Amino acid sequence: MAEHGKTQADEEEEQQVWSWGAGTDGQLGTAKLQDELLPQLLSLTSLPSISMLACGGAHVIALTSDGKVFTWGRGSSGQLGHGDILNITLPKLVSFFDGYVITQAAAGWSHSGFVSDSGCLFTCGNGSFGQLGHGDNTSLSTPAKVSYFSNESVKMVACGMRHSLVLLAGNQVCGFGSGKRGQLGFTSDGTKSVNLPCVVSGLKDVEVTRISANGDHSAAISADGQFFSWGRGFCAGPDVYAPQCLPSSLSFREVAVGWNHALLLTVDGEVFKLGNTLNKQPEKQQLQIDSSEALLAKVSDFDGVKVLQIAAGAEHSAAVTENGEVKTWGWGEHGQLGLGNTNDQTSPQLVSLGSIDLRTKEIKVYCGSGFTYAVRRKQGLSSSPTSS
Amino acid sequence: MSYDDVEIEDMEWNEEIQAYTYPCPCGDLFQITKEDLRLGEEIANCPSCSLYITVIYNMEDFQNDTKKNNEPKTRQPVAVA
Repeated sequence: MAEHGKTQADEEEEQQVWSWGAGTDGQLGTAKLQDELLPQLLSLTSLPSISMLACGGAHVIALTSDGKVFTWGRGSSGQLGHGDILNITLPKLVSFFDGYVITQAAAGWSHSGFVSDSGCLFTCGNGSFGQLGHGDNTSLSTPAKVSYFSNESVKMVACGMRHSLVLLAGNQVCGFGSGKRGQLGFTSDGTKSVNLPCVVSGLKDVEVTRISANGDHSAAISADGQFFSWGRGFCAGPDVYAPQCLPSSLSFREVAVGWNHALLLTVDGEVFKLGNTLNKQPEKQQLQIDSSEALLAKVSDFDGVKVLQIAAGAEHSAAVTENGEVKTWGWGEHGQLGLGNTNDQTSPQLVSLGSIDLRTKEIKVYCGSGFTYAVRRKQGLSSSPTSS
Repeated sequence: MSYDDVEIEDMEWNEEIQAYTYPCPCGDLFQITKEDLRLGEEIANCPSCSLYITVIYNMEDFQNDTKKNNEPKTRQPVAVA
């Protein structure tokens, strides 16, 4: 999610893009409007080299290594940025960004945020809650620059259901949009929404390196490995109106939040979770415990294999291990786990992405609300002297 | 089990389907019509999956649906370039 685009395309590399799960708005890029229970290998000839994907409620944003932007899926709020409110089933270049180099993007429930290499923020889509940050509640079908950040350098954007977070070069975090559950980090009980960015003051002395938003949750990771969260409470706990540091001796390097859970990746490659998908509470008595540390549980089914990357959908989770395996767990009703059925899974399960390929260089997973993408980068034949 | 409890003020009126909606984690929308609310229905279903939410509202607000009193806010039109 925080991946920045590479500066040059490597001709020696080839990539495979797979998608699965809910697909009735075209978000799987399969040119069909149906759910897929198993990973589908896409033929995306228009997308030469993907640097990152951002998956939202039912739309997808792809950035290429040269900073171009493609979007597809649901467009009914203008979130695709093509100047209309149509759904599309195949990636389409967002022509607004001709002349810009976009290095990072985020997809919310029905809005989108884009960060350029010059540190500008652009937003489009549903603005009913002020989540576009332009000082009104208008929805936009073409991206517009957020003028509040004209004199700032934006490093990263994260989009939740109805709110947005922005990380600035000076490590400040700003929020805008719906704040009803505390997800903006600066509102008090009773403030419904804010349509201009405001600084999250509770993180003033924290060197934030990553931000994450989904549902009514907000989260941040600091340079020294601390985890902060605010917004809707986890495990039916109370809403949190200012960033709260999770008391833990662990050092975290990545966070991915869903609608009722957060996944945390430690510097040692271990995965922990806070909250539960579909609000399932196997141990009800935990709710009585006041400390949030007690609610942090290790996802212990990786058999000691390190995890390299994590992603969270609304109610499902995905991880990439150092073995190059993709594992999924959580809610599976739409096939978002990619296991060929609609079952839920309480522990990580291996997703089959075709044959094991020794030339695999890197895999990344990305989760939308009810769907999942995997991008596998392979070393080209002409430059793979390592296979033996 | 109900997926969540949602206040009616947090739901959005959708002109197209003539229902109050709220995001469902599957990507579709939980939906409930004014007629449902008038009848005291408090479950909003998702047409695409098994999940449903419980809608928190005052039934009296929907008893005298004269359209002028409780005509919901229509969604902001999307500015199309």
